[in-house]
Amino acid sequence: MRAPFFEFGAFGNYGALLAAVFIGVAFGWCLERAGMGSARKLAGQFYLTDLTVFKVMFSAIITAMLGAFWLGRLGFLDLSRVYVPETFLMPQLVGGLVFGVGFVIGGLCPGTSCVAAATGRGDGAMLLGGMFTGVLLTGLVFRPLEHFYMSTSRGAFTVPQLLHVPYGVGVAIVVSVGLAGFRVAEMVERRSATSQVS
Amino acid sequence: MSSNDNDRLVRRLGILAAALALAAVFAGSPYAAQHGQIDVAALAHAVAHEDDHVDAIELAGWIKDRRSDLRVIDVRSREEYDSYHVPTAEHVLLDALATTPFRAGETIVVYSEGGAHAAQAWVFLRARGYDKVFFLRGGLYEWLDQVMSPGLSANAPAKDSAAFKPIAELSRYFGGVPQARAEGPSSTSSLVLKVRRRGC
Repeated sequence: MRAPFFEFGAFGNYGALLAAVFIGVAFGWCLERAGMGSARKLAGQFYLTDLTVFKVMFSAIITAMLGAFWLGRLGFLDLSRVYVPETFLMPQLVGGLVFGVGFVIGGLCPGTSCVAAATGRGDGAMLLGGMFTGVLLTGLVFRPLEHFYMSTSRGAFTVPQLLHVPYGVGVAIVVSVGLAGFRVAEMVERRSATSQVS
Repeated sequence: MSSNDNDRLVRRLGILAAALALAAVFAGSPYAAQHGQIDVAALAHAVAHEDDHVDAIELAGWIKDRRSDLRVIDVRSREEYDSYHVPTAEHVLLDALATTPFRAGETIVVYSEGGAHAAQAWVFLRARGYDKVFFLRGGLYEWLDQVMSPGLSANAPAKDSAAFKPIAELSRYFGGVPQARAEGPSSTSSLVLKVRRRGC
C-alpha cells in the first residue's frame, strides 16, 4: 500500500479524521515533552540562552524532508499527490512578520500555545483566545483584504524550483543548512551557559 | 540517558542525516519512481462497456448539479483555454497531468478539442491509479454542438420534441441557444471555427 493513504483510498473521511486526531495528539505530546509548552523556555531563543525551538524545528524539517524524499524515491510515497501549499510572497512575508512579533511578545507560537493551554497555563489560553479572535476578525474584514491576500502568487513553489536545482540537491542544501544551524545553536548555548556561570 | 549518551545519539543522527542527504544528490528524482501501471484488461473492459467517456449533455448535467467531486480538465493550450472553455474547467496541459494531484474518489472529466488528446489523457490518469476518469467523447466541438446550440429538426416528431425540452433547458442554463434547424450544416459552425486550430 502506497502513501498518501487517504489519497489512495486506504481509509475514508472518518478514517482520515481519526488519523488526524491521533497525529495531533502525538504532535502535542512531543511538543510538551520537548518543553515547548513553556513561554519561558521559548523566550530563551530570543536571548540566545536556549535554542531548543530552533533545534526542534530544524530536526523536524530535516526528518520530514529526508523522509519524503526517500519514501518517494523508493516508491512508498507518491509525492505528486502530496499537497504543496501555494506561495503568496507579500502576504506571507507580512504574515511571517506578524507571527514573529507575536512570538516575541507572547513567548508562544500557535502550536505551542495549544500545548500550553492544554497543560493549564494561563498565557497559552490567552494566546489561544487571541488567535481565534484574530481569525474571526480577519474573516469579518476579509473582503477589503482579499486583493492583498491573493497578490504575488507563485503557485506551489518549492526550494528546488526556487534554486533551479534537482530535488536531491535541494534536500542536501536544506539538510546541510539545518545541521550547520544545529551546530551553531549548540555552540551559542554553550557559550551562553559559560558566561552565565562566570 | 546520560548527557554523554544523549550527545552521542545526536551526533549519530546528524551523521545519518548527512549521509542520507549526500546520497539524495545522486539518487535522482523522487518522482522518477512514480511510474504508472496500466491494467490493460481493466482499460479494455472500460472501453468495451463505454465506461471511459461521457457525452456533453451528461457532463453539462453534472456541472449544473454542482457535483462536489467533479473536476473538469481542459488539456488544450493556454490560449485556447482562455479563448473559450467549458464552465468550471481547469487548465492542465497534457504533460502536466503526470504530476497533477487529484483527490481519491474525485470524478475527473478530461476534454480536448476533438477526442484524441483527451482519450490519451484518460489513459495517463488511469495508469496513475485514478478510477473515476472520463473523457468528453467528442471534445469541445461536441460541447458546442450539443450544449451551446442544440438543434431540433423543424419537422421533428412530437416524441423528439419532448426529449429535446430538457436539453434546451440545460442549454439555456449555460447561455446556449437551442434552435430549430432545417436540414443542412449545423449552426455551431461559427463557434466551432472560433475554437478550431490547425492539427489535432
